[in-house]
Amino acid sequence: MKNMILLLGLALLATVGGVGEEVFAADELNCVLCHKYRGLSRVDKEGNFRLFYINEKMFKKSPHSRLKCIDCHSDIDEIPHKPAKKVDCTKECHLEEPSSNEKFSHKPVSEILDRSVHSKYDENGNLKEMAGKYPEDYPHCKDCHDNPLYRPLSFFKGEAAGISRRGLSRCKTCHTKGEFAETFYAHVTSRLQKMRSPKEIVGICAKCHGDPGFQERHELDAVVTSYQETFHGKAVHFGSEEAPDCIDCHVVSGESVHFIEGRESPTSAIAEGNVATTCRTAECHADAGENIAGFQVHVTYDKEKYPLQHYMLKFFTALMAGVLYFFVVIIFLELLRRLFPNFSFVKSSGTDEHGH
Amino acid sequence: MLAAARKVIYVLYTIALMAFTIWYANFIYPIIFAHSDSKHEEQLEEQKAGKTEEELMFEKFLKEQKKTATTDLGYMVIKEQYVKGHFHHVGMTIEPDIGNVCIKCHGAVPHDKAKAIRAFLNMHAFYLACEVCHIPPPQGQPNWDFRWYDKKTGQVIANPPGLVTTEIDKYGNYGAKIAPGVDENGIFHFINGKKERDFVDEYLKKKDLLGETEQSKMKKVIHRKVAEKPMLCDKCHTDKGEPYLPFAELGYPPRRISALTSTEVVGMVEKYKKFYIPKFLLQEEKGAGEKGGEGQSDDLKKGVPAGI
Repeated sequence: MKNMILLLGLALLATVGGVGEEVFAADELNCVLCHKYRGLSRVDKEGNFRLFYINEKMFKKSPHSRLKCIDCHSDIDEIPHKPAKKVDCTKECHLEEPSSNEKFSHKPVSEILDRSVHSKYDENGNLKEMAGKYPEDYPHCKDCHDNPLYRPLSFFKGEAAGISRRGLSRCKTCHTKGEFAETFYAHVTSRLQKMRSPKEIVGICAKCHGDPGFQERHELDAVVTSYQETFHGKAVHFGSEEAPDCIDCHVVSGESVHFIEGRESPTSAIAEGNVATTCRTAECHADAGENIAGFQVHVTYDKEKYPLQHYMLKFFTALMAGVLYFFVVIIFLELLRRLFPNFSFVKSSGTDEHGH
Repeated sequence: MLAAARKVIYVLYTIALMAFTIWYANFIYPIIFAHSDSKHEEQLEEQKAGKTEEELMFEKFLKEQKKTATTDLGYMVIKEQYVKGHFHHVGMTIEPDIGNVCIKCHGAVPHDKAKAIRAFLNMHAFYLACEVCHIPPPQGQPNWDFRWYDKKTGQVIANPPGLVTTEIDKYGNYGAKIAPGVDENGIFHFINGKKERDFVDEYLKKKDLLGETEQSKMKKVIHRKVAEKPMLCDKCHTDKGEPYLPFAELGYPPRRISALTSTEVVGMVEKYKKFYIPKFLLQEEKGAGEKGGEGQSDDLKKGVPAGI
């Protein structure tokens, strides 16, 4: 309690002293007094760079900007403080979820993740053998999520990225206090599209699935490179927001994105009988026939698994190399001849040893 | 004459085309053979190839340092420094500091030993050159002349605009650092300027030519200006008398100066000093220098500025 009084006292001092002029409402305790400095950092024993900097402008663009620092970093009870513990995303925070009037928490997300293929535990609640051996291969919140940033949309006159000031002005007629209208607008419209671009999603999955060591440990194919070679992968690479990323095909339409199941699960989006349904969502190939399920996304050139693709690759590589290098050699020899038009390895038969 | 010139041009043109053919053959090779079925195995072999943990980490850091994180918000794309496992957005990339001689060996985040204040010390190292705290003016001499230098060029620059206008996201992040120097006959030079940086570069290249004893001798020589005890926080964050750094001359606006020397910051420094600053760092601690405090680094004992 004494410490909390000290905290509040310091916060008050900061406000009176003028340092806290730019401090947002979320930072009543004036944590940014120190954490606004980009260099606040250290390197820990394991060689990890620990950065304690908070970019307020960025933070304000995120749903977490409504929270105070200690809502998440709740073990901090004094200033200066000792190293903070890892944030527990499943704890209840002070915000109330408006539809249920219950305290908000990410616990339901964690519970969904626990039922997914990414869980450390099997359906009976026992630790998976691989999770026991390689716990770091199973994701926690921060492995996939950094602080999400709003991606607002404007629909005022056609669809465009960003907040529509004209649209917002309608909200602000009634909702005048603080930044409620901006935040609400950004929050809702961000949820009408993906919070992250497909390219970023692929990058997140690739952190684990693109690692050859990870693939070997879990007996998985090189799914990221094979996806990147497909039409979908190329479109995403060039910035398409429409082309499907990993989540679009691996999550059953309408389910939480955290509920990804393995191929062997009968309810999985990629289970043999479900692939066509997954492709035929309203946003994608709504009118496609059953044969669409025959499209192989994650083909590798492994001789055992995909012999046809393996030998096709060999054939086309040989064909391309043969054609291109044949002409490259011909052109090179032609140029050489132009440089030395009379050169010959064979002596001319028209001359004798005296040159006559 | 004209015919000879034409012949030379013809020969040069043919040679250029031949060179292009060789380049082209080289260029198409990775394109033709990019889809190799053995690539995956090669990567895996490379990963495993009997490397020590340290070697693997070295390779990982080499890769990670080139990474930037990109977040596409639709109406803007944010490119920022990639920090593995970092939740909050940094919102910027960081320019390397080529103007600092100490960084060449000690790195940009050197402070580690004094647990409670190491992050604060590193925070200051972001906009203060090491010499500010670790090389005091010789006894009896006036204080150094402090100036800002550009991190990208190492050259003296005017007081940075981000500081003068106190932009919200510019605290300490001006692309510049304060460093001490001297003004001789109207010409300013840093105590560790270009000449000293070039010398250290040369030394690092050639140091293996020296014997082991000579290497230790050179280490002492290079660090001979470094004080045994660094300058402490209250030299600048003080509400009594002139701070060690001339804030006003360096472009700090009055509001920032009053914050840096306010009860808030000074009080916190005092609190740190009382509860957290290890005794080995305190100047006035009698005999601390000879004995060395608990947890004192070898570097510090030698008077090397790293590892505080």
